[in-house]
Amino acid sequence: MKTRWWVPFAFLSPMLIGLALFRFAPIFIAVIGSFFGQTIRGETIFKGLANYVDLFEDQSFWASIRTTLVFNLIINPFQVVCAMCLALLARRPTRFVDVFRASFLMPMTTSIALTSVLWGILLDPSMGPVNGFLRWAGVPAQGFFRSGEQAIATLILVCTWKGAGYWMVFLLAGLLAIPKELDEAASIDGASPWQRFRYVTLPMMRRPLAFVLVADTAINFLLFAPVYVITHGGPNGATHLLMFEAYQSAFAFLNHGRSLAISTIILAIVLVIAAFELRLFRHKEGEP
Amino acid sequence: MAPAQMRLMVFMRYAALIAIAVTLLAPIYWLLMSSFRPAGDIFRFAGQFSIDTLVPTTLTLENYRAIWDGPFPRAVFNSLFVSLVTVALGLLVNSLAGFAFAVFEFPFKRTLFVAVLLSFMMPFESIVIPLYVLMGWLGWVNTYAALIMPDVASGLIVFLFRQFFAAVPKEIYEAARIDGASWWQIYRRMTMPLSGPTIATASLMMFIHQWDAFFWPLVAASTQDLIVVQVAIARNMTLEQSNWGSLFASASSAVLVALVPFLALQRYYIRVVTLNAER
Repeated sequence: MKTRWWVPFAFLSPMLIGLALFRFAPIFIAVIGSFFGQTIRGETIFKGLANYVDLFEDQSFWASIRTTLVFNLIINPFQVVCAMCLALLARRPTRFVDVFRASFLMPMTTSIALTSVLWGILLDPSMGPVNGFLRWAGVPAQGFFRSGEQAIATLILVCTWKGAGYWMVFLLAGLLAIPKELDEAASIDGASPWQRFRYVTLPMMRRPLAFVLVADTAINFLLFAPVYVITHGGPNGATHLLMFEAYQSAFAFLNHGRSLAISTIILAIVLVIAAFELRLFRHKEGEP
Repeated sequence: MAPAQMRLMVFMRYAALIAIAVTLLAPIYWLLMSSFRPAGDIFRFAGQFSIDTLVPTTLTLENYRAIWDGPFPRAVFNSLFVSLVTVALGLLVNSLAGFAFAVFEFPFKRTLFVAVLLSFMMPFESIVIPLYVLMGWLGWVNTYAALIMPDVASGLIVFLFRQFFAAVPKEIYEAARIDGASWWQIYRRMTMPLSGPTIATASLMMFIHQWDAFFWPLVAASTQDLIVVQVAIARNMTLEQSNWGSLFASASSAVLVALVPFLALQRYYIRVVTLNAER
């Protein structure tokens, strides 16, 4: 029985309509909408590039770009290193290794909103148990999210608490795929553990590491919930990340043109990151 | 390596594993444990670290009884409704598409598959604001449709089904075709009944994705009637409320709803995630 040409598309169409409408149409809405704005009386008018010009002249926009870049330049390599350490520790099939692997994964099941609520309470400078513990251990109480110098570092640590175990899974899979013979051969040749890691394991892990770094960047670039729940961008703009800036433009200041201009810039960056991710992914995946 | 040195290495490795596991689990433990304390006790022992900080002196269910009478059950209903409808629709829509990618040859197949992959590599947050504009045009702001429909078609779930279906030998389908079965019958009677584990994993992933959703519900539908669990809890936190007992009980319930099925299906989950990374 010959398959008619439209049959595959009948199977595909519900999904294709969903993705076209709710994933790809918004990209065009962002780009087109960024050229429009509203007058005081609520009329929609064409503004050309005015939204972008306003944005590029705005100090608070550049400040949030800077904060987002600094945050990402630190958090992504940091999370990859943490995930790699976890994967190396949980690599060998020793006793209880399943228990340890599962416990590394548990924070991942806490949603980003609940993570924010939980750590907002834990790290509260006056009430939180973390400062209580530090005082007990003889360390002075810290400001954490309330301190301009510590807020970004605290945010990085909290996100790493949630994320490290998740990325560990990908790296663990990479480690377990390395042929055992390689390691054993190096060992017989008298290589030290460090040399085996540096010259055997690391080169074999280049691709999984690159994949995790890029995929992690795609997520951290648009971090929103902890900023919304805990810091509101403060203290003094220290955690004013780009997504929070876009949210405020849209829903606090009701400036849709501006928020869509920021969305367009975000989308341009995200698509570049996704293209890198796609290349790394397809290399492993093979062609469909 | 000398045996003594070897033993030291093993000891250090376990010490590190235990230290990390304790650090990662302590916050969740403290949240769950505190939710069973009398509301007044929750912060009583937090500032002065001692055994009482970690082990409750009195256990009670009063916090859970208290949230039962408030607006929280409504939020639980909303989250469950949205999650379950998404799972039901998503299973059908995405498995059909996964079937098409695994079984058929058709024009633009590669291009469409790249679009599917791209759709899940592009973080959802990046389109939240234009998607909100679209919801305005559709008249869906503050409706269940706004919470459900955008998450039905999922590139990741399509990919998951395609991977599984592609592993089935094509000859089986050819034989069924010769016997006169339509492709719909093959999908419905042969392929889906054999896909139990994949359906379970996909359901879990879609359920937790919706249960954990925060940014989109906050933007698209956060009226009293439509508020979901995550937004309800986060809002109680931002209002600087003094009703800590309720906050801890509701947050603990929300954590457990995601945690319990995850632990049950953990092995599957790890296999599926790593399948994405490895193949």
